[in-house]
Amino acid sequence: MNWKNVTHLIRVDIKSGRLIRGSRLARFWENKILTYVFYGGALILGIAVGALAGYFYNTVLAVDPQFQTLFNQGLLSLFLSLPTLVMVYSVVFTMMQQIQRSGVRFSIQAPYWLPITWEEHTLASTLAKLLGFPLISIVFISSAIVVVSFFTGQVVYAAVTILAVLASSFMASAITEIFRVFQIRFIGAVYKSSGRATVWVRFIGSLAFFILFYIVYFTVTSGVGAVAFVQGVASAQSSVWYIPFVWLGMALYSFMNGLPLQALVFSALSLFFAFSLFYTAVLLNKWFGLYEPPAITVSRGIYAPRAGILGRLGFSPAEAALIRKDFRAFTRRRELMYIFVLPIVVILVPLMQSLGSPSGQSAPPFSSLFSVALIFLFPVAILSVYLGLIMIGEEGGAIWRIYSSPISAESLVKSKYFFIVFLSLIVVTLTGIVGVAVFHPSFRATIVAFAESFLLMFALAAISLAIGMLGADFRELPRPRMIRPEWSLLDFVVCLIAAVVILSPFIPYAFSTVGLGPSIDLYQAVVVSVIISAITTFVAYRIAIRNAKGLLAKAEM
Amino acid sequence: MALRFSSAVSLKGVAKRFDRIVAVDNIDLEIKTGEIFGLLGPNGSGKSTTLKMLLGLVPLDAGAAEVLGIDVAKDPVGVKRNVGYVPESPRLYEFLTGLEYLDFISDIYGLTAEEKKLRVNEYLKALELEGREGDMISGYSQGMKQKVALISAFLHKPKLLILDEPLNGLDPKSARIVKDLLHELKSQGVTTLMSTHVLAIAEAICDRIAIMYQGRVLALGSMDELRQRASLPSSGLEDIFLKLTGAGDIRAVVDELLR
Repeated sequence: MNWKNVTHLIRVDIKSGRLIRGSRLARFWENKILTYVFYGGALILGIAVGALAGYFYNTVLAVDPQFQTLFNQGLLSLFLSLPTLVMVYSVVFTMMQQIQRSGVRFSIQAPYWLPITWEEHTLASTLAKLLGFPLISIVFISSAIVVVSFFTGQVVYAAVTILAVLASSFMASAITEIFRVFQIRFIGAVYKSSGRATVWVRFIGSLAFFILFYIVYFTVTSGVGAVAFVQGVASAQSSVWYIPFVWLGMALYSFMNGLPLQALVFSALSLFFAFSLFYTAVLLNKWFGLYEPPAITVSRGIYAPRAGILGRLGFSPAEAALIRKDFRAFTRRRELMYIFVLPIVVILVPLMQSLGSPSGQSAPPFSSLFSVALIFLFPVAILSVYLGLIMIGEEGGAIWRIYSSPISAESLVKSKYFFIVFLSLIVVTLTGIVGVAVFHPSFRATIVAFAESFLLMFALAAISLAIGMLGADFRELPRPRMIRPEWSLLDFVVCLIAAVVILSPFIPYAFSTVGLGPSIDLYQAVVVSVIISAITTFVAYRIAIRNAKGLLAKAEM
Repeated sequence: MALRFSSAVSLKGVAKRFDRIVAVDNIDLEIKTGEIFGLLGPNGSGKSTTLKMLLGLVPLDAGAAEVLGIDVAKDPVGVKRNVGYVPESPRLYEFLTGLEYLDFISDIYGLTAEEKKLRVNEYLKALELEGREGDMISGYSQGMKQKVALISAFLHKPKLLILDEPLNGLDPKSARIVKDLLHELKSQGVTTLMSTHVLAIAEAICDRIAIMYQGRVLALGSMDELRQRASLPSSGLEDIFLKLTGAGDIRAVVDELLR
């Protein structure tokens, strides 16, 4: 193992990670002080928290030694559960980093022709994943428990815990490395032979993965879930000693309870497990590391063009071709599939909260109304805003095809707008069904919620498309940009204002339901909302066409 | 409706700047209908910018450009309808299959179902993409992608082909097929304007050649006219090119590198 190579590779990985998140690939300048400020901040904060807890221990709890004993026991429980907790959190956060990178077009791995071994590469990749949030949290936790242990006299336990925490985070990162190789390499290779169904398998598979991941993520990171998890870890660790992931915790437990032989055995087992994970990652990298994009076969046979339903709906062949192309893009490009996750997550969060709430407890009417509005309006609003923003930028480097083709601005806007509305309609239908099934709103409320969803969708899609034309970013390296951040921000502000204006006729109605102000009919509010939305949509659509003309006229590439 | 013009391309006093860099500096150019015209020049000489301006992809700072009798500034969509274009590095929609991409292009140019079926299958067979047409483009080699880009320029039977490095990455057989195809299209009255760094190709297939340097047309004419201009009566295009563009003493550079 050449450690210099490992260090260099870690630097490359960190820098590439920043480049991917940043806005420019070339002329990248980084402030070294800023790079380390978070670690310094975590250290200072940890020391402060530890000192505060120590002060509390020496003053408030000193009035009764029993309090201090209880505090010591609590601290020991925390020490015991920390390795497993840190492992879970590290897996979640390193996986999130990995998901963020899944849309990146170019490999950030060291070129295979350089004299670097797979062990060096895997170690660097594993360690680099720990930098950032996982390491910041470890620095914070470690400094806090060391300082507080000075007051409680548990310095040795704290030191051993820190070692265990470091080992568990390494294990977590190795797990993510294994996942990374499987995700990018192995799964791709399996897909290679699955023919036309490939794209759907990939689409549904990716969505299923994201949804599963977010369910786990929300369970672990939500307050109740985390506490339950800590309690579970603390109590159940000994009973599931045969699971390798708790061996570190078991080693600590044995050490703290004066069982040196058992502590040694579990430490050795943990070490063995960490090495096993690492060498599994190395092996997988060796097998699948030199990645070739799989040649996915979608169709076979003689070419036989078909008219298609879009032609019958009144779209010109060029417009229909653009819509079909975009539909394929959104079901085949990983970075675009991610967009479908957004509304699903928005549905999942309130659903999980409602399922998690104690049974028999009915929510107040206003809260229920808010939930209905949230599940009907929010996903479709987010989706139409986001789709509108990226519909032009998603063309990426292939935008030359649009520029050099005889496509008018009107056709471009028409096809892109139809696509947004079509996808959003599917989302409205799905969220509506979920909303009705979960919250059982009245017939009137359902009709109004659906109507307002449509109104928001039409208006916000047109606004975002108009702004997306101006802010489109066609750069695809290191990852597809699609929209410039400043235009994205502007669009969100404009859309928020537009949404408030469109929904504003319901404000007096909401007041009237709680006895404030005169009584207003719900349908009257809808009619006013329709008028506002129609005007907004019309104006924004015309602006989108004007912007498209500008885009096509100044097609500098 | 068939389009008939004596000049397929006409540039008068055309100029383009990018900030402080003068990409194209007041050039005049006439390309006759049915001609295969080569645009040569060192890197950054303004070739690609000139080609893009002809298609309305880059607005002109000064001058006028007419393509097939259509003013580029006034009716860029009209120009695009009659031109087949292949850029220097054609980025394709990699999430589509080769077939889906060509179907997309056919629809964009409004080909009928019969035309699509006939032409797509013909070109796929000619350029040996048969059997791989159902694969996603992301799995194609660079040469295969170039073939798809070329087919997409030929599909709608344009009157003018604007090709920037058209033979990039092609295997010898496919390159030969494309060259023969360009000759065949010339006999049918199709004009080709191509930019290339492969001087042997330009020498072999171009009727006339323009050598650009620092945004200007340095020399223009047939091979014989260029030889006269460079005072190199029996030399090939490479020597003429190097002399006209002032490439200097190549031997001295090589010696310096080997020291």
